[in-house]
Amino acid sequence: MIQKRNKILIIDDEPDAVNYLKAVLCENNIEGISAENSKIAWESLEKDKPDMICLDIMMPRESGISLYVRLREDRRFAEIPVIIISGVEPAGEFDIYKFIANKKIPPPEKYIEKPIRVENFIKAINEILEKEILKHK
Amino acid sequence: MSPKNLDKMLDSALMEIIPFNVAIIDRQLSVIRANSRFEKAFGEWRGKKCYEAYKNLNSACQNCRAMKTFTDGKERVMDEVGRDLNGRRAHYLCHLAPIRNESGEVVYIAGLSHDITESKDREREFNIFFERVPCYITVIDRDYKIIRANERFRDTFGDTIGDYCYKIYKRRSSRCTHCPAAKTFNDGGTHTSEQLGITKAGQNADYVVTTTPLTRGEEQIEHVIEISTDITEMKMLEKEVLEAERLAAVGQTVAGLAHSIKNILMGLEGGKYIVSVGLKKDDKEMIAQGWEMLERNFEKTTSLVKDFLSFAKGRLPEVQSIDPNDLVMEIIELYKEIAKKSGIDLRAELDNTIKKTPLDPKGIHTCLTNLVSNALDACEMSDKNDRFVCIKTKEEKGMLIFEVTDNGCGMDCDIKRKIFTTFFTTKGGGGTGLGLLTTRKIIQEHGGKIIVHSKKGEGAHFRIELPRRRLKSLLHKEEEQ
Repeated sequence: MIQKRNKILIIDDEPDAVNYLKAVLCENNIEGISAENSKIAWESLEKDKPDMICLDIMMPRESGISLYVRLREDRRFAEIPVIIISGVEPAGEFDIYKFIANKKIPPPEKYIEKPIRVENFIKAINEILEKEILKHK
Repeated sequence: MSPKNLDKMLDSALMEIIPFNVAIIDRQLSVIRANSRFEKAFGEWRGKKCYEAYKNLNSACQNCRAMKTFTDGKERVMDEVGRDLNGRRAHYLCHLAPIRNESGEVVYIAGLSHDITESKDREREFNIFFERVPCYITVIDRDYKIIRANERFRDTFGDTIGDYCYKIYKRRSSRCTHCPAAKTFNDGGTHTSEQLGITKAGQNADYVVTTTPLTRGEEQIEHVIEISTDITEMKMLEKEVLEAERLAAVGQTVAGLAHSIKNILMGLEGGKYIVSVGLKKDDKEMIAQGWEMLERNFEKTTSLVKDFLSFAKGRLPEVQSIDPNDLVMEIIELYKEIAKKSGIDLRAELDNTIKKTPLDPKGIHTCLTNLVSNALDACEMSDKNDRFVCIKTKEEKGMLIFEVTDNGCGMDCDIKRKIFTTFFTTKGGGGTGLGLLTTRKIIQEHGGKIIVHSKKGEGAHFRIELPRRRLKSLLHKEEEQ
């Protein structure tokens, strides 16, 4: 289904989570690049726009939620699909949907809890990428 | 005026001059003379018996004092209840004085009465107030014996007039160590303290007692009033609140723990996945990478379990009376070099009026260390030039306050403050999130709480509130042990 080698930016401070996601992507013919914090991620985004972003929530300096809000508010990156991949429950204390509720920004394309299930992760990526292709046709 | 004229004048005027109701009664109890005050108070008296005039009765009083005076010739003073002109019940202070003839026989009685209805009413009101007021009131003498106690006290602690207050309140055989009444006897001041007593039913009763001198102008204080408010129910509610807070903290601990475990599982799953792909492809490098991930995450599991067990086990607080400012200065000393190297201004703003306080110095040291180290981290991650971390001490509304403030912008405005309050780690693979959890636990053991405020771009402000009342009980607990 995947037409060309897509590129996904993984933003996570846990090196093992990054290794895991990169390996899964690689096995599915997707290029995985990574950034361990929001600053490095932003620099990477400005250099080269990925097809999608996998974003962790609990990170030092700036959380994934705050970074997500910044991405959506920046015209250059607002359209990049985002999958939140976090050990935090989506409906718990750090409910991203609550945080963005009054910010007039759309919710992330998908929320996946750690540890991921490889099939679900790949299925979500394929669905999002297909939608993107349809959107741009 | 000659003495003779004076006698004559007094004879006729004396009855009117005396500021009492005066009536002269004969042996038949008939009122034979009365002054105008008497007439004003009781109305027409002519042709009436004393019991008719005074009390509007048809026959003599059962225990007629006038008859006794006629018999024994003794003066008498007593309280009498009569009826005034409007038929209202009135209290009189009566003085019966015998008038004798030349042979010494009592022929008349002069009855002098004074209306004391108003002061009697006041006394009754005071007694109702004393008896029914919703607190325990006792009056004790210098031997610490109860000489008066109100109804509420008697109901709760028993009818105990003449017993030692410490025996009745606490079933002790000697005076209490921190006796506020002793202080009042000593300095004449008002003193308050929290105490634990035992009711006559054998139940514990928490109460706050205030002692105040009861003086009648003597130089030495002969009596002290003890007024106690029962706070047993309030104490129970307080315990329930603390328990609820503890349970909430347990909930947060579990949530934080679940987060850590999920991250480890992610690493383990990842390792397993990479090993399995490596095996499939016969890629030794991949197998080694996956294996390394597995090893690392098993190791993380071990240290998480160890950390958590040591957190759960904790250590017994060792309470000492110390100067909170000394503790702060120790922390400043500990971190000043690190702060200096990073160009962060680490400073203390101390309230020098703060008194020595019962605290677990090691515990509070750990709390302040955690907060200051987090604040320094937050500053490290900030790009500002004038970064600072400030530790403050102060007294506020009966509470000892420690504040740790920083202006690092490393705090993620929407989230990180929550992370701090709910004890998740944001330190990547490094932290277990237990630092602040431990801080909260220690503060709770001191009966206090920790609050965090943070505004976008303005750093963070942590405030530890330790109610002095609860700190005092820490010391008492220590003494009991």
